[in-house]
Amino acid sequence: MSTQASPASGATESAPSPGVPAMTSDRWEKWGDRLNPLVVKEVRQGLRTRVFWVCFGLLLAACLVLSLIAFGNTHASTYTREGRTYFFSFFVCLALVHFGVIPFNAYRSLAREREDETWSLLLLTGLGPRRILAGKVASFLVQAALYASAVGPFLLFSYFLNGIDLPTILMVLVMGGAWLVFLTLVSVCAATLADSRMGRAAVRLGLVGVLVVTFFQTLTFTFVVTQERGSGFSFDRDFFLGLGAAFWLLVSDGWLVFETAVSRLSLVTEDYTRHPRRALVVQVLLTFVGMTAVWWFMDKDDDIPGVMGILGGLHLIFASLFMATDVDGQSRPLRAGTRAWSLFKPGALRGFRLSVLLLLGWAAGCAVLLRLSDDSTGSLRMAMSMVALALYGVLYLAVALLLGRMPRSGRFASPVSVRLLFILVGVMGAGVPPLLAVFLDLEGRDELLNLLNPVLGTLNFGRYDYSDPSGLKMPPELLVCVALVALLAAFAADRVLAERERRAHQQ
Amino acid sequence: MSLLEVKGLRRDYGALRAVDDVSFNLEAGGILGFIGPNGAGKSTTLRILATLDVPTAGTVLLDGTSLVDAPDRARPLLGYMPDRYGTYDDVTVREFLDFFARAYGLKGAQRKQRVDSVMEFTGLGPLAEKLTTELSKGMRQRVALGRTLLHDPRLLLLDEPADGLDPRARIELRELLRALADQGKAVIISSHILTELAEICDSCVIIEQGRLLAQGKVEDLLRQSAGPSRVTELTVRLAAAGDEGEALWARTERTLLEQPRVKDVAREGGALRVRLELEADAGPAQAEAAAAVLLAALVAQGLPVCAFSPRERNLEDAFMTVTQGRVA
Repeated sequence: MSTQASPASGATESAPSPGVPAMTSDRWEKWGDRLNPLVVKEVRQGLRTRVFWVCFGLLLAACLVLSLIAFGNTHASTYTREGRTYFFSFFVCLALVHFGVIPFNAYRSLAREREDETWSLLLLTGLGPRRILAGKVASFLVQAALYASAVGPFLLFSYFLNGIDLPTILMVLVMGGAWLVFLTLVSVCAATLADSRMGRAAVRLGLVGVLVVTFFQTLTFTFVVTQERGSGFSFDRDFFLGLGAAFWLLVSDGWLVFETAVSRLSLVTEDYTRHPRRALVVQVLLTFVGMTAVWWFMDKDDDIPGVMGILGGLHLIFASLFMATDVDGQSRPLRAGTRAWSLFKPGALRGFRLSVLLLLGWAAGCAVLLRLSDDSTGSLRMAMSMVALALYGVLYLAVALLLGRMPRSGRFASPVSVRLLFILVGVMGAGVPPLLAVFLDLEGRDELLNLLNPVLGTLNFGRYDYSDPSGLKMPPELLVCVALVALLAAFAADRVLAERERRAHQQ
Repeated sequence: MSLLEVKGLRRDYGALRAVDDVSFNLEAGGILGFIGPNGAGKSTTLRILATLDVPTAGTVLLDGTSLVDAPDRARPLLGYMPDRYGTYDDVTVREFLDFFARAYGLKGAQRKQRVDSVMEFTGLGPLAEKLTTELSKGMRQRVALGRTLLHDPRLLLLDEPADGLDPRARIELRELLRALADQGKAVIISSHILTELAEICDSCVIIEQGRLLAQGKVEDLLRQSAGPSRVTELTVRLAAAGDEGEALWARTERTLLEQPRVKDVAREGGALRVRLELEADAGPAQAEAAAAVLLAALVAQGLPVCAFSPRERNLEDAFMTVTQGRVA
């Protein structure tokens, strides 16, 4: 064994050899140096696996057999419209790999990295969680591109079999590509969710379930788009609006999921909440701008802010559940630059404040659009309903935080405990009032009894009708009552979290 | 100034205190052994030193840079080898090292030169094109060590590096670590194979239940653990076997216990361990004289003594004394 050569010597001399091949090689070398190291390693590693070559071979063989069948059929008759059927068949072959094998392998790759502790070695190199996750996703997308290169010619071949036009092919491929990126991203990020063996098994099972379900959903969508076009289904304005919304959801939620995963893998000494919180705020703002543009474009249709108000509210409540349940306070290096309203800085207090602002801001914005809508007959009740939803979100989040973090013991103060408490109080809030109504011989959806019920309360405010004297009586004054209760609970939770942050910083 | 300064390190996991007020220093070129039973807090401390965990309290300075406040600046200065080797499947030795060299930001010719240099140093050159999965444990250990050396760190943190290695691989690892220390690198080795550590380390830290029990140079620890009175130990073997042999062993024990300086006698495998108590100021000459008297007594009794040798106190004894025999 030689110990003469010292790795610490660090001589950096290179041996340049002139000539065209050397220059080309240098260029490749420089280009390779710019790549994320993980992409190089993972692709190299991936191409050596049996799974890759088996899948690649089977994919190619299946497509070849299908093409031969198609070729035989076209010879049998003079003109066929089989293109859409064969396109769908080729797409199914590719989908098995793109929406099943690739995302699952991407998940497994990062999960193994964490199990085998190579993850911490990667972190120490200075790559950082962001580049590591990006490298993982990119490397599996490169592998997906290799699979696509095998099926691509066959997909194009289906165009020449008639029955399917190029825009349809392109649209399916673009949406399929976006879906592949999203699924791979989500799968990689899912690997960051659990730390224990049981947790990892649960995540793995959940991911397989999601992949199976979404696989069939994707095929259904592709089938409808390719097979039903011209027979009752067309690429009209609504279709493109829906497609645009789905695309935006994939992009913005993909970014949000990515940033959340990066923050989960960051150390507490880092400003780990800045990027996911910023991503959420940008998502909310851009969605609102986009929604306003579509609303304007569609003659101020009140359905748009109405539906988006509720869906956005639910999305924000879900996101708040993670923001507001962060640990208390920040690590020492971050405290110096933290002000009372540094909402992107770590800590449950700041996460809670940001959640309240986003929930109420979103509801208020949608309510204003509703009031400005041309057809504003039902706008007040819809606006009240979405504001009520936001207020319930704030109220139940505050109650969960108070229950979990107010006791000094801190037994239920962990992020997971507070989330479970939120679900528990939410279920109780939704289930107990109707039960009480039964005992009190009242109607199940009684207005006053369900005033703080997050489900029936939201629905009751949405059903309020001025024109029907016998209908539900949910005047705006009741909404003010809900607002007062929610804001009082939010204030109490804010004080509790502020006190806990102060105590955490004193330790 | 020390290369590494650890002061008042504490790590709590909820109600559990994994590391409690641990402080020590390490100079450049020094090898520090981190000794403790399983669950003592060795790995937690190493993970904090590797910037993979954050202490609840305390400061850690590496060459004046705080590992807690500026982990990104400290990481290029340290190399960490966890107790698991952390190699990848379907990757050759060269590809593995090349990947980490890329990850450390080494480019082009510099990267190639560094990978070659590390492979030569660790003796991996002939195995460069072999898959890491085809390597023996010892060789995989070398690959892992090579990885930690790629960016030329000043501090090496090795968690149980000799665990599971055969004797030859252990000796080779020891030589490698010595060579690294000679180059001026500071090395911290956590291990529970104490005899191994005694041969490699200059100084030791003994930790149990998160608390630092003793620290200092190995010789000092051995001297301290011997206590106020000087106790010398001897090993005695007999050429005796079977029922008749058993009687001889018993007679020998009795004879030994009758001698004035013998404190106790215990059977250990195929030998007797004899503890002799000397005066506090007794030197090696007195110890040898006492041993000679004992040997003469045994021979006079006609006992078939085939081996009679002094038994040096080792790190294991020091550890057992310091921890008062409590081993998890």
